[in-house]
Amino acid sequence: MPLKWVLHWQPNAGSTVNSQILSEVSQCVESINGLKQGRWKATLTLYKPHTRGIYASFSFHFIIFLIVKLHNYPTPPPLPEPSLAAEFPRDFQGVSVPEQPNKYYFIIRGQRIVLEADSSIQTIMEKLQSYKTRIALNIDGFQYQLGDFQLRVGKVSPTHSENLRGIVMEVEYLPISSMEKARQIMGEFLEIWQEAVSKRSLPGQFMHIEPNFAEYGLADHYTSQHTAVQYAIVMAQVIATVQAVQSVRN
Amino acid sequence: MECVVQGIIETQHVEALEILLQGLCGVLKERLRIHEICLKSGPNLGVVASEVRLLCDLEQPEPTWTVRHIGGAMRGAGAEQISVLVRTMVESKVSKNVLRLFYALGYKLDHELLRVGFAFHFQRGAQITVTVSSVNKMLKLHATDEAVPVTPGIQMVEVTAPASAENYTEVVSAVSSFCEYLAPLLHLSKPGISTGVVPTAAAAAASLMSDGGGTTL
Repeated sequence: MPLKWVLHWQPNAGSTVNSQILSEVSQCVESINGLKQGRWKATLTLYKPHTRGIYASFSFHFIIFLIVKLHNYPTPPPLPEPSLAAEFPRDFQGVSVPEQPNKYYFIIRGQRIVLEADSSIQTIMEKLQSYKTRIALNIDGFQYQLGDFQLRVGKVSPTHSENLRGIVMEVEYLPISSMEKARQIMGEFLEIWQEAVSKRSLPGQFMHIEPNFAEYGLADHYTSQHTAVQYAIVMAQVIATVQAVQSVRN
Repeated sequence: MECVVQGIIETQHVEALEILLQGLCGVLKERLRIHEICLKSGPNLGVVASEVRLLCDLEQPEPTWTVRHIGGAMRGAGAEQISVLVRTMVESKVSKNVLRLFYALGYKLDHELLRVGFAFHFQRGAQITVTVSSVNKMLKLHATDEAVPVTPGIQMVEVTAPASAENYTEVVSAVSSFCEYLAPLLHLSKPGISTGVVPTAAAAAASLMSDGGGTTL
């Protein structure tokens, strides 16, 4: 399949992403003769483990006994916090990508794992009740044709909300499937694109982070698993940017 | 959802069963060689303890992997009365690193099996699958080449058919009526309710072997 680079909008320090920027970016694609085609969609989910902790195995009567006993102390000693953080991955992500609507991808970045599965794996995960959704994001927008390139610009927003949390752009080069062979032309296209965007003096820029695909067991020949890994990284960046803005506000 | 019944047959009568199935189904059998890995959630993971099965199809030129989750059986007076188990079952085909992913998520190996035998897939009121296999255990971790039978001389027969909440009654009746054809050789019942081998098996097998399945049982 044709290879693609997935980029995300990195706002300048002190600024945030807004719908005006999204609109300007879309206009920018059209200004370089991008032909608007259809809509596209991707979803990203960050999971967290459902942990039972040590108290889950205690009987109801034993918990009452503990509460009564601790209440009798002048200063109740704190209950020990079970340390489970290291036991389960905190970066377990699920991704659906536009080119494979019937597939779903799981990524654990820390351990460099990417798994391709039929969409029904989501039903299995729900039934297992071992992990639950921590953050769910939708990406949707328009697709543009530009010669041998296909561009997709999408807004990132939480599921069931219209709040803009980020902007994602896919640059797909249709004639080539080899990451290495396409590197030069992709780089050149990105330079032209960045130049077009910079004319609009927007408070930020598109960033491309290329993962080490070999660490995930992926070869040079591009697959949807490459896309999934790129989305997982983009999602982490978007969440980090939102959290950084929120911590400054607080 | 799926409808399922299981039974057992002595290995010496498997050839007769194969002839019977061949005649009934009108399709060619497929060879079966499945490495089944059963995983359970670690002690602190999940709202409740959970179990998932990873199936590796070793018959394919490049082994393929499937995740299977078997849920609870349908309950109630209606479910008690029917001779077929109706339960939720979800499968997903996955890439080959699925075991690594589930280990990373906190699942532990509970047990593993190797099923070797054959299967028939056909349409008969429902999309029915019959598998006849010997269940083997591994003496060393994942050593499928060194597997030994769990119950020597006995093979397991399973009849399954996919169903939905709307059509399961029709699927149940399709599975039940198909099972009646196999009755002289083996008895099929809900999983977990073992009815053993049937006394008529030897005579039925001899009859089938003598005329290649031409006689109506």
